Amino acid sequence: MESVIEKNKFSASEKNYSEDSLKKDERGRKITKYVLITISVLFILLMLVLPLVSVIVNSLKEGLAFYFKALSTQYVLSALGVTLLATVIAVLVNTFFGVVASYLLTKFNFKGKNVLSTLIDIPFSISPVIAGLSFIMTFGRSGWAKPIVDSINSALGTDIQIVFAIPGVILATIFVTFPFVSREIVPVLNTVGTDEEEAAALMGAGGFKIFRKITFPHIKWALVYGIILCTARALGEFGAVHALSKTRGGTFTLPLEIDALYMQGSADSITSAFAASSLLVLIAIAVLILRNIFEARAKNKS
Amino acid sequence: MYIELKNIQKYYGDFKASDNVSFGIEKGRLVALLGPSGSGKTTILRMIAGLEQPDGGEILIDGKVVNNIPASKRGIGFVFQSYALFRYMTVFDNVAFGLELQKVPKDEIEKRVLELIELVGLKGMEKRYPNQLSGGQRQRVAFARALAPNPKVLLLDEPFAAIDAKVRQELRSWLKKTIEQLGITSIFVTHDQDEAIEVADDIIITNKGRIEQMGTPIEVYQKPNTAFSASFFGQPSILPDYKKFHTFEERPGAEKAFVRPEFVKVTKKNEELFYKDSSVEGTVEQIFFRGDTLELLINVDGVLITARRGLDEELVNVGEKVDVFIYRIFVTEGEKAYLLQNLAIREESLVI
Amino acid sequence: MAQKKKGKSKSVIPGFRLTLGITVLMVSLLILIPLVSVLAYSFKLSPSEFFELITKKNVVSAFRTSILCSFIAALVNSVFGLILAWVLVKYEFPGKKILDGLIELPFALPTAVAGITLTKMYSDTGFPGKFFSAAGIDIAYTKIGIVIALVFIGIPFTVRAVQPVLEKLDPQYEEAALILGASRQRTFFKVIFPELFPSLLTGFGLALARGIGEYGSVIYISGNSAKNNTQVVSYVIMQKLERMDYASATAIALVLLIISFVLLFVINIIQIRRSKRVSVR
Repeated sequence: MESVIEKNKFSASEKNYSEDSLKKDERGRKITKYVLITISVLFILLMLVLPLVSVIVNSLKEGLAFYFKALSTQYVLSALGVTLLATVIAVLVNTFFGVVASYLLTKFNFKGKNVLSTLIDIPFSISPVIAGLSFIMTFGRSGWAKPIVDSINSALGTDIQIVFAIPGVILATIFVTFPFVSREIVPVLNTVGTDEEEAAALMGAGGFKIFRKITFPHIKWALVYGIILCTARALGEFGAVHALSKTRGGTFTLPLEIDALYMQGSADSITSAFAASSLLVLIAIAVLILRNIFEARAKNKS
Repeated sequence: MYIELKNIQKYYGDFKASDNVSFGIEKGRLVALLGPSGSGKTTILRMIAGLEQPDGGEILIDGKVVNNIPASKRGIGFVFQSYALFRYMTVFDNVAFGLELQKVPKDEIEKRVLELIELVGLKGMEKRYPNQLSGGQRQRVAFARALAPNPKVLLLDEPFAAIDAKVRQELRSWLKKTIEQLGITSIFVTHDQDEAIEVADDIIITNKGRIEQMGTPIEVYQKPNTAFSASFFGQPSILPDYKKFHTFEERPGAEKAFVRPEFVKVTKKNEELFYKDSSVEGTVEQIFFRGDTLELLINVDGVLITARRGLDEELVNVGEKVDVFIYRIFVTEGEKAYLLQNLAIREESLVI
Repeated sequence: MAQKKKGKSKSVIPGFRLTLGITVLMVSLLILIPLVSVLAYSFKLSPSEFFELITKKNVVSAFRTSILCSFIAALVNSVFGLILAWVLVKYEFPGKKILDGLIELPFALPTAVAGITLTKMYSDTGFPGKFFSAAGIDIAYTKIGIVIALVFIGIPFTVRAVQPVLEKLDPQYEEAALILGASRQRTFFKVIFPELFPSLLTGFGLALARGIGEYGSVIYISGNSAKNNTQVVSYVIMQKLERMDYASATAIALVLLIISFVLLFVINIIQIRRSKRVSVR
């Protein structure tokens, strides 16, 4: 035993030329480490945490009573309602889509698969304003689909409006959050592979049975995580909705209401804007906490 | 023939995975598809299973063409290379899955599943999940799962590839024994010649999408009839010019010659030398200890030949001059291979 | 083996037609058709009209501002993204998990909220804006403000692009270089950095793409002044929309779309090349 230890010592000291250079190297590494950690912590505190604190501080500038009053105005409540409605529908649609699309993209090989997957990711990389614009150009006064909607309306005797109405807000919200769920599931399914599904299909299991019994357990946590991200983004969407929604207290979402309050420019209305913002900040913090919980869980399972 | 492939063609883009593949397998045989990776053996297995569709030709199982029968209706059990166990199901549920799909009554399922779990030696582990099992145990579960619905044919894709060397040995004999007991027609894919020789009743050798040779392990080993099978088995050394080694019949058109270690007799200078006229002198270049034998690399006039000597024989040293006598060689002519006996042996047997 | 499976062969797994049908239908209805409407409208313009609309002074200036500020912000984010990813992967220290979790904050925080807060912070009465203005540096309502907003929005892209690659980088690789006698700096620049570079470039590209199209977080702090050239492209599109100048809006949007697609395309190529290199190794 002893001789082994001796030998190890020997080879270790041989690797470095002298004790001195070893110490110097070690000290250099430590300095680098603490400098880099300090830079990181400062960056995150100044760039990311400070804005959060700033929202809360600004929202409470006029005291708690004002804070709650600001939150309970009719405009804010209506905006909250519209936001929740659009979010719920967008999350439902995109969850369904995300699950179906990721099954398609990971279990099958077909021509045009890369094109399809790029198309799904488009909303990630284009300006949200373009999303809003594209719905206006489709359903707006000069949009080509306007006559179709009109004829449906006259046939059914309804008065469905899309642009500058709730359906437009919902469509825009769906558009910007479209890839969120599928993007979380696809990598998980790619690492899982297709063996299990093949084995089940070989034994004669049908599509829904395979999905429910084999595929779903793998993607459970990724799905939850994707839904959380999708919810967060849907609640906070601004640019796309801004183009499509013009009625305060009617079609405004919470971010639009915040914008309206802020743009009024008086000290009180700006404080009100921050009060409304604080709601979304709390949701953002909740999302981050949930994200960490579910990501850890997803990692443990696989 | 219980399973028959007729003129099977399969392409992946420009890549020819199966090039006019035809063979037949009798009922109850355990057959190995043996070949280097990329030789198309897995493709053949997947086509029999119905996981891939051939681009041409017919596949018959029990006299019926199954090309248009979906995989799940072919009566096949498939053991995947990665086992493909359902990770979110217990051992019991994994094995029961196929039976549940066939709407077998619950109590029957339970009986059959427990029976199979016992057969594969995993009694008491029914409630475990795949990640709580060792590699060998997982393979046994995969095997039980494939057998549960009473398939007519069992297909195994590289069944031992993911298992430690030590367990592999044990599992090979276990699998052979169990399949023999059940009498189920089985095909397995492997790239390991020892594995094929040890486990299979018949070996089908594949190369570049074609079938090179089919036969019992002894046949394909002893009488390779294609250049590829001659070079694939054993540990052949290549002789660029076999005429240097006396005395073999000269075949016009012969291209390459292979010699396996067991065809080579190495004699020390102080030992009695039989076929003196037909021996050549060589120098020992390297010696490897292989556990039960010594493997020698001998340089004969620039040609390196692998040979073996028993541990009971007198030791040889690196650099020592030895006499080398070659009993037989395989010569190849295009795609064909021929066995040539050393004429010295033949002459002697004539004399006697 | 995986390569061999890449043929046109039908899979035994059921559900291909159903899932393909649903996916293509939904992508077409919700993404493709709206975007094509924009294209269709802008193609109604003659080339000279189109050219005239997109070369107007304020439009060109908006493009210049968006691209310049996004580029600077993406550079800043590449530097800090690399440092943050390095710290999060290579070092252990208390609070690391919280730090890691906070990186995603800009994804979770609504852009409008980020926008008004940053404006408040960097105006001459806010913290830390008042210190800067005391030193004679105005941040809010200048291009510096736009850059700060874009750094905020873009930081997760670079960190999350580099982090997984750094995690997967085999430490033996680094150790091998060290044992061969390379100094730590040399090991970093010659061995580690080249490995990280493609992912850093990806992160840079994603942050750049996001920055060029950014709206909510920028429009408050930028001040949107035509005189000071602090209008960004998204703002100009919105402005044209509000004036019902659809021709201009779609023309500008088309150029913006093309820029996004080119960036996306380049990023995809980088990623494909990287995955090829990894698979060879």
